[in-house]
Amino acid sequence: MKKKLFLSILLLFLTPFIAFPGSFALAAEPIVIGVPTSLGFLEGKESLKAVEMAVDEINAKGGVMVGTVKRPFKIESIDIRDAAPGVPVPEALLGIEKIILEKKPVALVVGPFRSEALLAGMDIIAKYKMPMLGTIAMTPGSEAKIKKDPEKYKYVFRVSLNVIYWAKLLGGTMASLKNQFGFNKVYLMNQDILWARGTANAMKNRFFLKTGWEVLGHDQYPTGSSDFSSALMKAKSKGAGVLFTCFDMPESGVLVKQWKSMKVPALIAGFISPMAGEVAWKTFDGKIGGLMNAIFEIGNIPSEYYAPAKRFYDSYEKRYGKAIQSGHGPAPSYESVYILKEAIERAGSLDPDAIVAAIEKTDKMGVMGRIKFDEGHQVIYGNNPGQTATGCFFQWTKDGKRKIVYPKTLAEGEIVLPPWVKKVK
Amino acid sequence: MLLGTLIYGFVNSIILALVALGFSLTFGISGVANFAYGALYILAGFLSWLLFNSVGLPYILAAPFSVLLTAIAGALMYRFVLLRIRGMVLSEVIATFGIGLSTLELFKYLGFIGFEYTLPVFIDYSIDIGQVTIDMQRIFIVVIGIALAVFLWFFTHYTKTGLRFRGIAQDERTALSLGINSDRVGTLSVSFGAAYAAIAAIVILPLGTITVDHGYEVLINALAVCIVGGLGSTGGVVIASFLLGYAQTFTATYIESHWVMVVPLVAILAILVIKPSGLYGEQKELEERI
Repeated sequence: MKKKLFLSILLLFLTPFIAFPGSFALAAEPIVIGVPTSLGFLEGKESLKAVEMAVDEINAKGGVMVGTVKRPFKIESIDIRDAAPGVPVPEALLGIEKIILEKKPVALVVGPFRSEALLAGMDIIAKYKMPMLGTIAMTPGSEAKIKKDPEKYKYVFRVSLNVIYWAKLLGGTMASLKNQFGFNKVYLMNQDILWARGTANAMKNRFFLKTGWEVLGHDQYPTGSSDFSSALMKAKSKGAGVLFTCFDMPESGVLVKQWKSMKVPALIAGFISPMAGEVAWKTFDGKIGGLMNAIFEIGNIPSEYYAPAKRFYDSYEKRYGKAIQSGHGPAPSYESVYILKEAIERAGSLDPDAIVAAIEKTDKMGVMGRIKFDEGHQVIYGNNPGQTATGCFFQWTKDGKRKIVYPKTLAEGEIVLPPWVKKVK
Repeated sequence: MLLGTLIYGFVNSIILALVALGFSLTFGISGVANFAYGALYILAGFLSWLLFNSVGLPYILAAPFSVLLTAIAGALMYRFVLLRIRGMVLSEVIATFGIGLSTLELFKYLGFIGFEYTLPVFIDYSIDIGQVTIDMQRIFIVVIGIALAVFLWFFTHYTKTGLRFRGIAQDERTALSLGINSDRVGTLSVSFGAAYAAIAAIVILPLGTITVDHGYEVLINALAVCIVGGLGSTGGVVIASFLLGYAQTFTATYIESHWVMVVPLVAILAILVIKPSGLYGEQKELEERI
């Protein structure tokens, strides 16, 4: 009788655990993921949303297996404002340190926007032994630091594109433009921040000048600039065929409008953040057909030829009721959470060194292609998502669609020149 | 190239004058340095966007309605906050700066982040002046900028309210003894300044997109123009706008665009060293001599 009573009570006690295993995993102590980034900027806001989406998906399946216990993820975010004009790097670093000290995260994702903040922040990351999967800042300087002192800086990873891979993506596209249309005169315009400056200088010195292009001019604009008429006048008067652009500030939308109103007969090709998302068509009154813009990671744009990217893009749109608008950040931020989950499960603990060692061994297919890290903890990029992470170039069609035109493996069509831009050959 | 620089320099100068006129007007009359000015500019931009895109008003109604609402916001700010601390300069600066900051950050909190916030241009057309192509929106900016400056001059010289404005600006106590209600004039001056900020927003923002951070830039530009021109001097504002506007455009064209944003800061430093009251800040200059 006693035995029966005991078994009945035990069964009663265990029933909820058997019926709702996921819910009780959530009752376990959560694993905190910190998201210190510029939340006041579109890339930061959408990256956080992508992180939330990944966390909810993982938690819905019971959470993360740490040793023998399933634990849920929990997100803590802070706006470090490093992308805003005039915000000094030390202020951004204070934000990173604050979230580490107050929220006790196991790892950070997304991270700083500005490469200046990333490089300076690496010492804080090292001090607290805090694994970080960055998805925005692009300087290869972080890899150099990791290679120089791997024991100290090994905690920093980058899941997104760096300036070197970025330059390769740009170089490939520019070479296509030259081959197809004979363009050989370029005018460079970029925002005066580390990654954009590095990109433009690298493209000028290592690509354009070495591959037979004539560089007609190079103007750099401080963050917040909202008049580009002088450079556009110079580009027009000197006969530029391509306007190479590199901007991630909202004000760069003015450049597109000025380019249109000043009737500059050159093709804009590069990166202008307001041009990346599908709302740009409406923002610019449907008059950007023909322009070419880069997307740093597929998944931020749907691809006909890589299903995981489209699946992620569509899921995001379904969940939030609005598609991804930024060309940089959300896809790798989403991916980062899964990389972290799998690393924790492989490590079997939350020890930062064990997590770092497990992240280093990552080899997975994700929404932006295959994810593997090199010795500088940079995700390896290439032109085929089946083999590497992949970015792309798209062109706005005259009916307001974004058509991927580079790389060839993802191309949904050929580059078509807008009527006011004439080919050279 | 020179013609283009001259034309776009002229437009740039008018843009600077437009964003500074309201700030100068408020300070000149009520003595309030309205550090919420940039926020009022952005408020007008977002109100227009909301009225046009969310409420569905035709833009021809949405624009003036947002100017009216911004002017009311300015008046309320004076009646409920500034009136209580009137005359305490530091408190006025802290209060207006706080209101501006919280307004801008509220927009961020409410999710006004992204690139889709843009106002329509009045006429989508470009014209050629010589070999320089310029869009009609910039022509409108020039016309409206000049019209507002002229209107301000006539208003303050030939209307009863305008004369009251000047009376308070010249000597508040004497004006009070003549029956001019300084609180009412103060309210109107902040309200007028806010309306000027809103009109500037309506005509300038269609050139690009509306972003919260642009509010800070507007405030800095307004401050730079007013400090160089002389706080409270409308003539000074116009002269300083042209000096800074052309300096910026020539710097971008013939030196390097990289240095454009340094121009206003250098101008502020230079004027503070050479003539601290600004080019046309006569009242201050008298005080300095005393």
